[in-house]
Amino acid sequence: MKKKLVIISAAIFLCISALAEDGEYAVSKISPALLKNAHAVLRLETLSLEIIGHTKTTYKNHYVITILNENGEQWSPFYEYYDKHRKIESAEGFLYDVNGKLLKKVKLKDMEDVSGVSESSLIDDDRVKRHSFYHKVYPYTIEYNVEISNSSTLFFPYWVPQGRAGISVEQSSMKIICNEDYQFRYKAFNYSSAPIVTIEKNKKITSWSVKILPSISKELYGPLWHELTTMVIFGPTEFQIDEYQGNMLTWQDFGKFIHSLKQGRDVLPDNVKQKVHALTDGISDVKTKIALLYAYLQKNTRYISIQLGIGGWQPFEAKFVATKAYGDCKALTNYMYSLLKEAGIKSFYALIRAGANAGYITADFPSQQFNHVILSVPLANDTVWLECTSQTLPMGYLSDFTCDRFALLVDEDGGKLVRTPKYGLNENTAIRKVYARLNSEGTLKVNSITNYTGLQQDDLHGMINNLSKEKVKEYLERDLDFATYDIDRFEYKENKSVLPVINEALDITVSNYATISGRRLFIVPNVMTRSHRKPVKDDQRKYDVILNYEFRDIDSVEIEIPEGYTVESLPANVTVTSQFGKYSITSKLNGNKITCFRIAEQYSGRFPAASYNEMVKYYEDVYKADRAKMVLVKNEATKGF
Amino acid sequence: METKTFPFSIIPNFMKLSKTLFFTCSLLFTQILHAQKGVKYKFGDIKASDFNIAAYAIDSSAAAVILADIGSSDFEGNNKGSFSLLFKNYRRAHILSKNGYAIADVEIPLYTNGTLEEELQNLKAVTYNLENGKVVETRLDIKNAVFKDKINKNLVIRKFTFPNIKAGSIIEFEYKVLSDYVFNLQPWDFQGQYPRLWSEYTVGMPAFYTYITLSQGYQPFLEKTQKTNIVNFQLNDPGGAGATEKYSFNSNVTTFKWVMKDVPALKTESYTSTLKNHIARIEFQLQSIGDPFQFKNVMNTWQVVAKDLLDDEEFGAQLKKDNTWLKDEVALAINGATQTLIKAKKIYEWVRDNFTCTNNNRRYLEKSLKNVMKDKNGNEAEINLLLIAMLRRADIMADPVMLSTRSNGYIHAVYPMLNRFNYVICLTVIDGKDYYLDASESGMGFGKLNYECFNGNARIIDLKATPIDLNAQDLKEVKNTTVFIINNEEGKQIGSMTKVPGYFESNTIRKKIKEKGHEELLKDIKKGFGTEVDITESRIDSVSNFDEPVGMYVEFDVRPNTDDIIYMNPMISEGFKENPFKSATRFFPIEMPYAVDETFSMQLEVPNGYLVDELPKQTIVKYNDEGDAIFEYRISTSGSSISFRSRLVINRTFFMPDEYENLREFFNLVVKKHNEHIVFKKKTTP
Repeated sequence: MKKKLVIISAAIFLCISALAEDGEYAVSKISPALLKNAHAVLRLETLSLEIIGHTKTTYKNHYVITILNENGEQWSPFYEYYDKHRKIESAEGFLYDVNGKLLKKVKLKDMEDVSGVSESSLIDDDRVKRHSFYHKVYPYTIEYNVEISNSSTLFFPYWVPQGRAGISVEQSSMKIICNEDYQFRYKAFNYSSAPIVTIEKNKKITSWSVKILPSISKELYGPLWHELTTMVIFGPTEFQIDEYQGNMLTWQDFGKFIHSLKQGRDVLPDNVKQKVHALTDGISDVKTKIALLYAYLQKNTRYISIQLGIGGWQPFEAKFVATKAYGDCKALTNYMYSLLKEAGIKSFYALIRAGANAGYITADFPSQQFNHVILSVPLANDTVWLECTSQTLPMGYLSDFTCDRFALLVDEDGGKLVRTPKYGLNENTAIRKVYARLNSEGTLKVNSITNYTGLQQDDLHGMINNLSKEKVKEYLERDLDFATYDIDRFEYKENKSVLPVINEALDITVSNYATISGRRLFIVPNVMTRSHRKPVKDDQRKYDVILNYEFRDIDSVEIEIPEGYTVESLPANVTVTSQFGKYSITSKLNGNKITCFRIAEQYSGRFPAASYNEMVKYYEDVYKADRAKMVLVKNEATKGF
Repeated sequence: METKTFPFSIIPNFMKLSKTLFFTCSLLFTQILHAQKGVKYKFGDIKASDFNIAAYAIDSSAAAVILADIGSSDFEGNNKGSFSLLFKNYRRAHILSKNGYAIADVEIPLYTNGTLEEELQNLKAVTYNLENGKVVETRLDIKNAVFKDKINKNLVIRKFTFPNIKAGSIIEFEYKVLSDYVFNLQPWDFQGQYPRLWSEYTVGMPAFYTYITLSQGYQPFLEKTQKTNIVNFQLNDPGGAGATEKYSFNSNVTTFKWVMKDVPALKTESYTSTLKNHIARIEFQLQSIGDPFQFKNVMNTWQVVAKDLLDDEEFGAQLKKDNTWLKDEVALAINGATQTLIKAKKIYEWVRDNFTCTNNNRRYLEKSLKNVMKDKNGNEAEINLLLIAMLRRADIMADPVMLSTRSNGYIHAVYPMLNRFNYVICLTVIDGKDYYLDASESGMGFGKLNYECFNGNARIIDLKATPIDLNAQDLKEVKNTTVFIINNEEGKQIGSMTKVPGYFESNTIRKKIKEKGHEELLKDIKKGFGTEVDITESRIDSVSNFDEPVGMYVEFDVRPNTDDIIYMNPMISEGFKENPFKSATRFFPIEMPYAVDETFSMQLEVPNGYLVDELPKQTIVKYNDEGDAIFEYRISTSGSSISFRSRLVINRTFFMPDEYENLREFFNLVVKKHNEHIVFKKKTTP
């Protein structure tokens, strides 16, 4: 018996070696064009999504990637999450050496099974199967086969053969299999032809494919990824998750579905109802009412993320938040909605894709592209936006987390896309006045008073509201652009208005700010605000330059210096005007007082690739002018009689 | 009452369990349980006046303060013929502002061996708020709001968050953990992220166990007492044949109690290897088992421990064998070399370049060496033990060395407390010279170690358990930069720079080249120079010779300058621009990763048509008379040539907090000098 087993495994082994000689995935077979700038090559990718019904889809992914070097390691590990709706039916993996010879294989049961609970969640039901061959001899090739079934049709996968810079593609294809009469939707980027449609056994098969895509190099301030590579995104028309059904044909339809998830969850317990009336009855101004209720929310709740089952999509009921005093974005927004409703104020639950510079929504493709919920309160003349997960943000102000992007407003009539406010040049300012005194050792005592507004105050807002005074001091001790310095005093005052303002007062002692050697004194008149951008020239710039952030900085500096110096060398007054921004700096010495005035503006926009080096030059000029030194010489001692 | 020697199942398991467990576990078992007699804090005893306090004297800026953290550990007989540990924890905290909400999120880690999970018992958690002058309680919904997150096959975390939290809330929890993993008597941290007004731990140690107690940190004990009572222990042994045997006996139990009052929050500072070295903490190590049991030394001498390790299948046993199965791989690696040193290097490089390190911080084999070879991957102990096996197979003497990395904290110099160790490397001696090897680190040269390994005491695991010292102070990062600038025939200034950075900086550069390519590195060099020069040629040597530092060579043209006065910083772009010691104050000692010796020198021809108007002053700064740190700044002219040299030497790597101010001032002077200028003036034509 034992002997027989040995023979069988030997036979399998022979079989494998026979395959290996074919060397299907031998690295030598990769076209040299695909090796350029690439850390990995997608040799083959076959994706398919079969839509069996509203509550059943099967997704299959078979892919082969050659990892060329250490930087290609990011494509080596296998990683799939699963949860209540999403089940990994099967998975297997193979490892091949440079000649395409099979070295190792792995089955689903031998893969690592770990918790997928995200950092920001207290609990959710994500779990993860993961695996890596941990191979180190480059190049090598991995192959994985995975089949996943899904009992919900809320999400369809997307097809993007090149997910990141550094990978080239030999061939990749995607197909959707469904009943002849089923309508799914798709939107293609950088894919010019129409998909191929065939009918097989009463099933409609729609397929897309690409061959030979060279690796893409990412560029500084470049466009969004979908502009650079081939991508097709998919969505259902009718869909279902648990007992909830919906349609995604239009934003209005999708909004109706979102509304159905939250319907009836706005019932407040009596004590909270009474509280709402106690706070707002008799007040006529709507904004004042909103302010009182928002303050009540901020004082009495906090953000805790619990995403179990449909809870990932459905808000906890208002009365849950009322008793626990916590909830995730959905629950807290729904709670605020309920408080306002009790006060007779209509508001909209608003889905959004949150994150600094990460809010892009494909507006002409209704689908679940959101990861956050905020509240929109329309008034006669304007709209008040409320971030309900924050205990500190001012009413009506959206930080860089949610500003300037689409949000889907939801009510019983469905959904509607609107833009959230954009904060621009006039909103994002830092106006600073510096009074300083230099002693004869070169030590500078600085008093700096700054008003930050809009997005320029976001980080400070986070810091002063989330850190203890001691930690703020630690931060200041680390963060300022001086060699050796002490923070003698710091104070922040916050004006929490729709356009928030933070006033910062700093007293700083900077050791050896000026270099005093022999007769001369070297000093940089621009004390506090220096540009750190130093992009490097690129004569082969391929993509447009995208700048998102606009701001204006104004600095006025006065430095009192020891008596008896005259100017030997003055920093040139610099004015640079470009399509990227405007900058000017002037400094002079009057008696024993140095004055410096600096203004810098940065514009946003989309600029042609050809203008990239102009931008580099602009930032070089600013960088240099910000650090230019004034050189003073000590007057010759007056001679005696 | 009968007394008999126990068929003691725990003890032989002790070693085995501890090795697999301790690592994952030390994080898991946070402090746990229960209000005891005589303690000032009683669960639920919250008065309206308790809310009046808006800030505590210990730390007026604290967002939350732990009012009491009380724990105990006791042994109990169980129904499995052995003992269980019962850990209890009671905690009360006051949340003073929104920033302190995180204290309301609680995680209780439980160890599991896959089938038997530690048991969380009697969890109770209540939030108290003051509403209209009355204390209002909100209880945690134990059934629905305590979640279970299976992190991996050995770790389950039970977590919850307190309901109804507001600025001003007082929270309380208590729970017990019953554990059959008795080797792991819980340590106690008296210090943490939040300040603690009262922290108390009691441990009832039965006479049949003797523990070594180790305490560390800079906080004084308010109380440190012990009291001995006689306690009756009962346990049931199910035996094999169905008949349960009951045992009952009395034993002295000494109850130790440690109390600290007003313990400040831990503070993170730069140049600290790990806060683990400084936190106020107490921990235990089982030393021996005695009466009424047969005496057994659990904590042995280092020699015995080393011998056990060498015999252990999960450590040294496989090294003792002939390992003929390694024959082919050894031959492949050696590739015909005959000289011992070259053979050793080739084997080292073969292992280093062909094996992936999947996990650091292990000290045992988790699979056989054969499987390590087959998988071509393993944890750092597996890779280095395989290296040793291969070296021995090639008749090269090699031994394992066990150590604790800097971020893992100090080991105990005397006691063989293996759980403090987390790393295994290899020592080979060739022609009388020691070479420490770590094949788990990609791109590490032969005989080189990451500075993380230089953490003081370590042990060679040989029959003598030879102690060795791997001191950061003995590790010197030597950097030399030489610059020549001359006037060429056309009167233009041209120059060259040769830079040989220290070994660790070299490895950072190698890593950068690997990630971003040569081009990016050259861009960086250009950026560093600023816009005053144009680089005409550049090259980097020894990028793949991991045994040596890299060499960088740059040629450049200085951009013509026709100003009447030229100011030039002789350090070019190489000077210190920032003081590494930012903070004005210091609590913990300064631990630097290595000693430093950096020299920058320049030969400079005065630009044509200019005269030297002013030179920076020469300076020598000594940190102290012992020369623990020295800075030299020398500059002189001879004819039309200027010689300049800056040298920074730091010989000592450990400084006490009271030395901080001087050290900071020392670097302040370095930065100041590195910022000074030579001034050239145009010759006036007569």
